[in-house]
Amino acid sequence: MNTRVERYDAARMNRAMLSSMRPPTFRWYLLALVLGAVVAFGLYAFTVQATTGMGVTGINRPVMWGIYIISFVFWVGLSHSGTMVSAILRLSQASWRRPILRGAEAMTVFSIAVAGLFPLIHLGRNWIFYYLLPYPNQYGLWPNFRSPLLFDMVAINTYIIGSSIFLYIGLLPDLAVVRDLSSGWRKKFYGFLAMGWRGSAEQWRIFSRGSTLLACLIIPVAVSVHSIVAWDFAVTLVPGWHSTIFAPYFVIGAITSGVAAVITLMIVIRKLFKLEEFLLPLHFDNMAKLLLAVCLLWSYFYFAEVFTTWYAHKPIEWEIFSFMADRYGSIFFIMILGNTIVPIIGLCFRRVRRSQIALLVITLLINLAMFIERFLIVVPSLSHKNIPFIWGSYTPSWVEVAIGTAAFALFFLLYTLFAKFFPILAITDVREQEEALLGNQPLGRTQVKTLVNEE
Amino acid sequence: MEILGIFKTLEPAAGAINQLIAAGVAEDQITSLSSVPYPEGVLIPERRKPAFYLSTLVFGVFGALTGFALAAGTAWLYPLRTGDKPIISIFPVGLITYELMMLFAIIGTLIGMFWTMGLPDFKPRAYAAEISDGAIGILVTTGDEDELNRARATLIAAGAERLCTEEEEG
Amino acid sequence: MGKEMTEIRWGMVIDLDRCTGCGACVTACQAENNIALVEKDGIAQGRNLHWLRIERYWEGEFPHVRARFLPMLCQHCDDAPCEPVCPVYASYHNPEGLNGQVYNRCVGTRYCANNCPYAVRVFNFYNPNWPPPLEQQLSPDITVRSRGVMEKCSFCIQRIRRSKEDARLENRPLGDGDVEPACAQTCPPDAIVFGNLADPDSHVSRLARSPRRFRLFEDLGTEPSVIYLKGGGHEHPG
Repeated sequence: MNTRVERYDAARMNRAMLSSMRPPTFRWYLLALVLGAVVAFGLYAFTVQATTGMGVTGINRPVMWGIYIISFVFWVGLSHSGTMVSAILRLSQASWRRPILRGAEAMTVFSIAVAGLFPLIHLGRNWIFYYLLPYPNQYGLWPNFRSPLLFDMVAINTYIIGSSIFLYIGLLPDLAVVRDLSSGWRKKFYGFLAMGWRGSAEQWRIFSRGSTLLACLIIPVAVSVHSIVAWDFAVTLVPGWHSTIFAPYFVIGAITSGVAAVITLMIVIRKLFKLEEFLLPLHFDNMAKLLLAVCLLWSYFYFAEVFTTWYAHKPIEWEIFSFMADRYGSIFFIMILGNTIVPIIGLCFRRVRRSQIALLVITLLINLAMFIERFLIVVPSLSHKNIPFIWGSYTPSWVEVAIGTAAFALFFLLYTLFAKFFPILAITDVREQEEALLGNQPLGRTQVKTLVNEE
Repeated sequence: MEILGIFKTLEPAAGAINQLIAAGVAEDQITSLSSVPYPEGVLIPERRKPAFYLSTLVFGVFGALTGFALAAGTAWLYPLRTGDKPIISIFPVGLITYELMMLFAIIGTLIGMFWTMGLPDFKPRAYAAEISDGAIGILVTTGDEDELNRARATLIAAGAERLCTEEEEG
Repeated sequence: MGKEMTEIRWGMVIDLDRCTGCGACVTACQAENNIALVEKDGIAQGRNLHWLRIERYWEGEFPHVRARFLPMLCQHCDDAPCEPVCPVYASYHNPEGLNGQVYNRCVGTRYCANNCPYAVRVFNFYNPNWPPPLEQQLSPDITVRSRGVMEKCSFCIQRIRRSKEDARLENRPLGDGDVEPACAQTCPPDAIVFGNLADPDSHVSRLARSPRRFRLFEDLGTEPSVIYLKGGGHEHPG
């Protein structure tokens, strides 16, 4: 008799993995309150803007896009975390994906939801945002599908719905577990969401095939979404924007940002909900290796961009870079430090990859650097456009900073609420792996090979 | 009518299935209920190929047509010259067609999966909460009173911790 | 007028040899088109609402410095980069060659302003405010734009419409010189000439055939309808 069978206790594992869903403590309420307050302040700032005018922002001629569009691109980039990580890891059968999946997928849904707010916030006349929607009307007017902003709208919608479906399907068996472990109104709530899932053999088969199919479908969607956002910039005549490298460059930047954010969140969740048993140093090690790879790719793309511009030295294109180095030199240096120097050197070492503190610092630095990178894409190119007479600059106002910060608070608030009401680890996934490690023996009605421990 | 036998571990559950088949219960009336999936054939072998791919395909094609109608159709209905670009141009129409095709394919996969899984299913069914804590249930579905009683006896003989039906809450 | 092939293609010639940089055209445009006023700090921020601006470039070292003036307005490009990017068709190309801006359709994404290489598009950051008695001077022929709306030079489309109506009422075709935007009307040395480029005998067409002609940013392929004539005496420095 295999002693592993005796050690494995499904009930205990369930409860340990569901520890985030225990009744909220004072600390949790305090966190939710603080985050809610920041969101409320952002809402107030937005009201000021909507009633007074866009003049309360730092927008001017020629810099007609500022923090809002920068935030939009940043959050769309971050949304590539979950679905891409989850989908790629699923399809490559990497068994170390299991504890990471749920958190990553939830991150995707919430960051794309936050991203979707910004095109509405940055409109000059927000109250008629519905002009952008294709609906039949008595004027016979339709929106312009040749505009990249309409591609944006369609793509963001597709991605939001697609990733929500992806998250929900993955949640289905776990919702059934939560349903069975709860009572009262909770049982009814989770019972409704679980749609009567019973875990029959047929259901599991369809579930696993369907999840794989969804993973295959969501990857092209994710790539296309960020390429479309990149083309908002690349199809213009603005020097520094009109570059063919933008679409792949943005996709890689998004994956970098996303993987770093997933690692950050995993570190936080592991500490907060005492999930040390399930999120092992091995998982962080492998995610860090992935992060190293994409940081290298990002650096490669950026180098290619600057190098070709420097060599050809077209005056107006080079002007953008030299203005950026002049005026924004310090934050440019922080970006290179955070995205290239620190990760590439640091993540080569196993000790760094397995150290929670080091990883936390590196991943936060990467996301700061990515936000700066978005800023340095949007603002210098617009500041020093084609006509020197109207060259200008841009400083964000308190309204933009408030709303940008509120976006972060909103994301964390949504995530906190999600962790409280839904399983933050993929319970059945993790337990499936435990069961599969039960050695080579006649199993059930057939024989099963031993699954080697992935270390 | 359903009868469900709860087993704490895998081996007795598998043994119960063999005994049920020996007792004359049809194979496709037996299934397992568990909170983790088991590899192919450990309990129940695959009987039918999943059919929800068709739903994905159909919805995907519908989505592509919708995308084309939106991008090309609305432009044709409301032609306004912008720049030197043709009213209906290949890149924008292609992009919108692709995006909506993927959107509808994903929705179609969800609908197909639910349809083939038999969800949503809110009718009273035989189920037990222990299944989520690692127990394995062997479920027999039948319309025949005799077969049901035979299954009940077989499950008890095979060592089921307890039995439940759709009337009794597990 | 009808949507079929039109014999009108509006265009403008600006003679830089005649331009003194006086700025009368800027004032006339402001007065004619109900353009809102911008405070000093708004101007300092770069939010001025000049549909037409005089760009001044300095050339040479002191004491041999020359100022060079370039009146910059919407070029009404044939292949306008601002038109395809507007998500709601607020910016479109009308059959007579004008780049039209539909104020009540604009939602204010400001994409068109980013894509304009000439940076001639301006945005209403606040609601307009004319302290009395300035509101007496507003023209009834043209709307007043609310905040959140993009605007730019329209080649005084209200004057074009008015002249066309007059011509129709009097049962005659539109003649050369019938339509004069505010800037062309006001310019003291007649540096700005406006007319129908499709008519080879019009004043503007004859000027457009000058060997001194050039257009801005030709290499971007925007095909502007505004033609400049080189001059200003730069070939004789000092």
